[in-house]
Amino acid sequence: MRDGIRIARRGVPSISLVTDEFWPQGDFVARSVGMPEAPRVRLPHPVAGTGVERMALVAGDLAAGIIDRFRG
Amino acid sequence: MSTLEAIDEYEALEQLHALGCTDGLPVVIPTPDRVARMVLATGLDADMSLGTMGPNQGDCTVEKLAAAAVMAGCQPDYAPVVLAAARAVMDPRFDLTEMQATTHAIAPLIIVNGPAREWCGIHGGFGALGPGYRANASIGRALRLAMINVGGGRSGTSDMALMGHPGKFTMCLAEDEANSPFAPMHTMLGHDADSSVVTVVGVDAPQSVICVTDADDPTTPDRMLWSLASALANVTTNNAALRRGQAAIALNPDHAAVFAEAGHDLASVRDGVFERAQVSGAELLKSAGVMGAVDPDRSYPCFEQPEDLLVFVAGGGGLYSVVFPSWCAGPHRNRAVTMPIEVGQACEIPAFVNLRSEHL
Repeated sequence: MRDGIRIARRGVPSISLVTDEFWPQGDFVARSVGMPEAPRVRLPHPVAGTGVERMALVAGDLAAGIIDRFRG
Repeated sequence: MSTLEAIDEYEALEQLHALGCTDGLPVVIPTPDRVARMVLATGLDADMSLGTMGPNQGDCTVEKLAAAAVMAGCQPDYAPVVLAAARAVMDPRFDLTEMQATTHAIAPLIIVNGPAREWCGIHGGFGALGPGYRANASIGRALRLAMINVGGGRSGTSDMALMGHPGKFTMCLAEDEANSPFAPMHTMLGHDADSSVVTVVGVDAPQSVICVTDADDPTTPDRMLWSLASALANVTTNNAALRRGQAAIALNPDHAAVFAEAGHDLASVRDGVFERAQVSGAELLKSAGVMGAVDPDRSYPCFEQPEDLLVFVAGGGGLYSVVFPSWCAGPHRNRAVTMPIEVGQACEIPAFVNLRSEHL
């Protein structure tokens, strides 16, 4: 979340990827740095370490939605 | 600072628990009078900002820190130590924001050197990390309560430690300078022996290291260095997996005496552990914690320089010394920070003046 906000502050469009387990922390970080509406997309938890096949499935489910968010 | 109202202290405590302002244990209710007395003990203005405490980026004023000290059960005499510890963790090198938010189990270890140990009654001997010693327990707890209420580090929301450890309630001790054969640790860090300082480093839970000494065996000191190094080079520690960061080593007085008898001082113990704290590439590759490219045919130092190891004397004499590995994944590798304890500001507190004059 913090990385996404830092990137956004440099003027680069960003969307943070946040898993279920860390969603409340994402909300907290967004509020604490003064960007409560910073865009983020919710992922199932865990993603890291789940293997290429599983990660490809997650990416496939979410990619279109992420692109839509960038398009506004 | 906002004020709550309650009909009695019981209800006030329930409110504080309900608001998530405690560490889960009962606290002393920070009434305006109690907080004002704690502020007075700092000798500073209540609204003076000491820095920013992450991850909430809260403004840590003297008054907010004083409220945390009251809640933790501190005596006003402890205020300068709490203040120094808070300033240390807010130093950017400490990486507090990242440390509070990480999934790793890490907590600030507060090591107190110099005359403030005696003024405040901070224990460095048997069971120094507790339980049973008010100054140790409440000073470390005051910092934790500030990290919760000012820094916003709340478990499962902003403090994402997967398991945590009991040192996250409090972890403060003094170096046992009186029973150490060595010059105290803070002299290695550039401070005069008679100055009072805190050194704060973010560490894992303490790991016991057994060292059976034998006065008839001249290899004992070298084997002790290997044992301490092996505990830190354990392939499951972050220091070994990431091969960087800092760590602390608490030598018990018996072990310190064996090293001293062999001609060591704290610096040579530190250097000896550093040289031996190596992890083989083959062992790393067998482990689940390996990161980055690793050559199975070479060994890797777990630390970048000897100064990354803090060595001091504490605890009771016996078989066990202690090492504290660290997280070491922050932007500054969560560096240890040493901060002077400013006691001159507190001369308005009669009890404190008496204690000071007694020990000067």
